[in-house]
Amino acid sequence: MSTLLSRLHSDVTRTFSSSNLQKCGEHLSKAKLALIESDLIFPSVHKKVEELVAARDILEIGAFWSIRTKDVPSFDRYFSQLQTFYNDLSSVLPPSQREYPIRGLNLIRLLTQNRIADFHTTLESLPLPAEKLVTNPYIQHPVNLELWLMEGSYSKVWNAREEAPAEEYKFFVDSLMGTIRQIASCEEAAYHVLPLKDAATLLFFRTQSEVLNFAQERNWQIDIAAGQIVFPHKSEEDMEIPREKLIANDLVYARELEQIV
Amino acid sequence: MPDVEMKTEDAKQAAKKEDKEKPTPIIVTPVVEIKSNAVLIERAVSTLEPRFTLRVLRSLAALRKRLDNKVLRDAVSEIYPKDSSTKSTLLGWIPVASAEVSSMDIDASSVPASKLSSSDPVPEVEVYLRLLILHHLLTSQNNYTRAKELAQETISNIQRLNRRSMDPIAAKVWYAVERTYELSGELAEARPMFLAAQRTASLRHDDETQASLINRLLRSYIQYNLYDQADKLVSKTNFPASASNSQYARYHYYIGRIKAVKLDYTVAHTNLQQSIRRAPQPRVAPGFYQAVHKFFIVVELLMGDIPDRSLFRHPVLERSLEPYFNIVKTVRTGSLSQFQATLHKHAAAFETDRTYTLVARLRQNVIKTGIRRLSLSYARISLRDICVKLHLDSEEDAEYIVGKAIRDGVIEGRIVHDKGWMECGAQKSTYGPEVSEMFAKRIGYCLELHNESVKAMRYPMNAHRKELADAEDAREREKELVKEIAEGELDDDDGLGGGPGPEF
Repeated sequence: MSTLLSRLHSDVTRTFSSSNLQKCGEHLSKAKLALIESDLIFPSVHKKVEELVAARDILEIGAFWSIRTKDVPSFDRYFSQLQTFYNDLSSVLPPSQREYPIRGLNLIRLLTQNRIADFHTTLESLPLPAEKLVTNPYIQHPVNLELWLMEGSYSKVWNAREEAPAEEYKFFVDSLMGTIRQIASCEEAAYHVLPLKDAATLLFFRTQSEVLNFAQERNWQIDIAAGQIVFPHKSEEDMEIPREKLIANDLVYARELEQIV
Repeated sequence: MPDVEMKTEDAKQAAKKEDKEKPTPIIVTPVVEIKSNAVLIERAVSTLEPRFTLRVLRSLAALRKRLDNKVLRDAVSEIYPKDSSTKSTLLGWIPVASAEVSSMDIDASSVPASKLSSSDPVPEVEVYLRLLILHHLLTSQNNYTRAKELAQETISNIQRLNRRSMDPIAAKVWYAVERTYELSGELAEARPMFLAAQRTASLRHDDETQASLINRLLRSYIQYNLYDQADKLVSKTNFPASASNSQYARYHYYIGRIKAVKLDYTVAHTNLQQSIRRAPQPRVAPGFYQAVHKFFIVVELLMGDIPDRSLFRHPVLERSLEPYFNIVKTVRTGSLSQFQATLHKHAAAFETDRTYTLVARLRQNVIKTGIRRLSLSYARISLRDICVKLHLDSEEDAEYIVGKAIRDGVIEGRIVHDKGWMECGAQKSTYGPEVSEMFAKRIGYCLELHNESVKAMRYPMNAHRKELADAEDAREREKELVKEIAEGELDDDDGLGGGPGPEF
């Protein structure tokens, strides 16, 4: 392993464990350059194992660092670079301690962006048997979150924010709550009137002004005097008959029948 | 129906042979069958009619089970002339069992010269024999490495020869190649080879091989859970429309699986349904039939429908679908605790079917069904009662869940927050644009079926000439008739005092 790479590796590890984020970022960008120069960023099997491990380490720290500096696109990049190490080189490399935390973080990221289909595809492609999915704490957390989100047990999601298996998971909680509020605004359909106070609890807001802002964003009518939100309910709209479609269909039938007879 | 028609002229002999074979299948030895197949392939090549080759390949599955070293060796020696180099290569691939060597030598020297021409048969026959040997090698574990060598050599042969008449056989060879790699546990390594071959096949408009290879690739991706890649492959390639039914069945099955994972249940459902329709008879290929139905049932449940009860009574499906039947029962009753218990009990079965994660997704459907049942039976129910009836953890949860169900359109109703109850609205009337849409879909399907079957009809070559001649005759006769009538009329007219005859 080149001395430069090993020096940069220790630099990155040191600054990261002392949580000096700014310094760590500087070292990371140097380390990435070194990785590109020594052809380790898209590695092949023929590299030495310790070099590959060092490269994986640097990228993993990079992924965590991106979360701590709240830079999701950067996490995305690090994660896709790590995929090669996790999937294609898994037979060569010793397993990494950080692999599942990072995979779990990626799952949560997909959830917060409401990319449920991608979430499931990623989940299927995890190299774990199904019963392990519920025993591995890093994977179980996002799996449960998805379950609750889908069935609508939002309060469980809210309560689970304190049970995150790793520090980095908490970063996503806030954006996850944003997603929940978007989904949770079933109010429009499910209620006719809703007291402001209860709306705050239902939508996990702490103050009334937050509720008012949110309501304004979604164009809800607020009856301040009565202290409640009124949802304009569309009356049963008249059933529109899709004339053009019906005519087009009938013409097609006529033509086809003509051909048959 | 068209099958009967096409056996008129040149196919008559083959038909006779088949008729002779059919009533007494036990008497036909595999050697004879292979030999007659070789003749059929020759004819297919010389008449440019892939039908004969397809007929040969149809018997492949049954023939495969009756192969052994001696059969293969006899067949090869009898088909090829004595001093053919291809013959010695082929014989080289057949494993030598010591006990049979002596008898084989006698066979080889005594039989061949008798009736066969001195030249080698067409290369298609060689590839067909290679395919048989390959399948035979795969029956025993010790021969896997040899099988792989043979597979590679055969593939390079096929690609070198590049004959369109070979395509149907080549497609089957690819399947055997996949089996070879899969049995030796190296399926992932064959992928680059498949990809390269798929490109070549699509450039050469080799539809059969292309269809087979796309399926090989999809299978390999799904085996390793690479659903993203599989989905990209599907979107980037065009599945050849002329592919055979069995390839289509597989293709639809794989797409169904990919789409189910990606939560696109409607598309998954249509594809699985197509796959079932195109699949061979349940008794012929029970494994495939069962596998497709497993996914079909889960997807149907995920869409919120309950599969037909009769499905689970089907003799081929009954046993293998038992875990799914239990799941369907719990989803139908909407009981969460029962669902969890059943899921846990059959976890291993779902795991081997690779449906576990899909079945686990059903949890929310169980809740939805439960709420739906409540909304149908009550006009007004308190959240507390919903919570108790559905085994939910808290009233708060119940409120969110009901809210979500209303938003998703599962039920019609609203929540009255102050009073803490749910009011259920009247059921939507079922008549509306949806009905005409459903009808349009069904009518469309019937029309397509009709058009497809018209397209699929086949007529014997040059038969229309005869008909043309007939038509010509008929026209002549008609003319005469007309003439006669005209004359007759003329006579009449004459009798009536003359006048211009009618003009034709």
